[in-house]
Amino acid sequence: MDDYVITVLSNIGMISFIGLSAYLLLVTGEISFGQQAYFGLGAYAAGAVTAMFLLPIWVGILVGACVAGGIAMVVGALTLRLSGLYFSISTLAFAEMVRLILLIVHVQVEVEGEMVGPAGAEGFHGIRWMFERDLSLAHFMLLIYGLLALVLIVLLLVERSRLGSVFRMLGSDDLLAEMQGLDTVRYRILAAGVAGVISGIGGALYAHFTTYVEPQFFNVMLGVHALAYGLIGGLGTAFGPFIGVAIDIGFLESVRFIQGYRMIVFGGLAAVLLIFMPRGILDEERVHRLKTLFRRRNHAGAQRR
Amino acid sequence: MLELSGLSKHFGGVKAVDELDLTVNEGEIVGLIGPNGSGKSTTINLICGVFGETAGTVRFRGELMNGKPPHQRLRAGLARTFQNIRLFPNLTVWQNLWVAQNSPQDVSARGFLPRWFGATRRTRREIADLLDLADLGHKDDELASNLAFGEQRRLEFARAAATRPRLLLLDEPAAGMNQQEIADLSRRIHRVRDSGVTILLVEHVMELVMGVTEQIAVLNFGRKIAFGTPGEVQRDKAVQEAYLGASDPGDGSA
Repeated sequence: MDDYVITVLSNIGMISFIGLSAYLLLVTGEISFGQQAYFGLGAYAAGAVTAMFLLPIWVGILVGACVAGGIAMVVGALTLRLSGLYFSISTLAFAEMVRLILLIVHVQVEVEGEMVGPAGAEGFHGIRWMFERDLSLAHFMLLIYGLLALVLIVLLLVERSRLGSVFRMLGSDDLLAEMQGLDTVRYRILAAGVAGVISGIGGALYAHFTTYVEPQFFNVMLGVHALAYGLIGGLGTAFGPFIGVAIDIGFLESVRFIQGYRMIVFGGLAAVLLIFMPRGILDEERVHRLKTLFRRRNHAGAQRR
Repeated sequence: MLELSGLSKHFGGVKAVDELDLTVNEGEIVGLIGPNGSGKSTTINLICGVFGETAGTVRFRGELMNGKPPHQRLRAGLARTFQNIRLFPNLTVWQNLWVAQNSPQDVSARGFLPRWFGATRRTRREIADLLDLADLGHKDDELASNLAFGEQRRLEFARAAATRPRLLLLDEPAAGMNQQEIADLSRRIHRVRDSGVTILLVEHVMELVMGVTEQIAVLNFGRKIAFGTPGEVQRDKAVQEAYLGASDPGDGSA
């Protein structure tokens, strides 16, 4: 594989993290325009750990995930009383706030005769952990997909568990969930935290893959795309966002010839899809039908044997 | 078991519930009836904590419930069904019953795996019993949104029972039901009561109310105008006026 393919595949992998993050909140009925903030926070925190404090990347990813998750829980607790549009706007406002703060944060330390650290609008350069260790891009891609698989497995297990049902309860009828004896406040904060962690892991990986991050990358378009993945791919299963990513990147790459009109066409496509499939391609109904079909076939196969 | 005293809820100038006193004793089936807009559903919502009361107190098993959020009241043993069916349409029938198990017994059940992955025999057996109660055993793996109207009502009933309530509040469970379904429903209500659950029934369908309840409270304009056995209530002058209008044409207040 040449570097171009590896870069595209790695980007798909890293973007999938933020897609899964937005998906989890969509399942709980919250449309967040702010998941890019946790991606950014994860990237900066992880970059600081490895480039400024010279700790291993595992610590960086862990710290990035914890910082993003922790802040996501605080923001989740603050925006708890908001619903619908008000919630969406507050997440957007928070994400922009984070981006603007990162634009002015200027904290650098001297490492081996060089100044390293966030430098406001110039971004955070010199996150060279990967290159200092002579790791190839392909190796790093394996790390990305390894972690992505881990996150996906966790999400699929959650889906099977009672917690998965609880998240869907929050998404369809908050009051009823409360009436069923659930402390909805706690579960909402938990969902926000987990979504923050997932996004933060993606950001931590991104910082080390590109060796530098700048606030401009975490603008609202990233958040909108993250939302679109779940909404297009479907809210019935954690595989949904991947279909969204595939459609987005596959479509955008294949229609390069129409250039500037691509986003217009993509927007129209997304709108048409949402009119006919409001909960995405793999919505709960289809996922359930697929599961039933699969189970029946397995059952028939077992009987034949 | 349940004691409402001086319970009031005002929406602006409208007194939806006004100075209501009502006592429900353990093991009883009590009806709560009244014309449209007389405050029945508001009363249920106040008991469950959907919104706060303007004045008065709700006591459940001697404990003051004022100010407690709905999930705490449920854990104390208060469960309800809704006037317009409310289920989780994206969950299966089985899951709808599973997530309803939030009684103190369930919450204190030990072990992460059995609790969160539904592996305990006891849980499965209980859900099987509930499916049997609702006559939905063959549909356990169906999404709730794919059920017929009558099946959804039965599922809602079973779900309320799944929380192991001590007091079950039924908000117009017979709406839209035919004779046969009403007969099934009253059998189901008796079956739940016989398992030790007290029942407060809000209902318009007199056939059901008169058939299953032991005591009936009648509301009109948020006030209790009568209380007694079904026979007594039916003979009550005030009740007849509330439902049919005053016999004296000069009195236009009804």
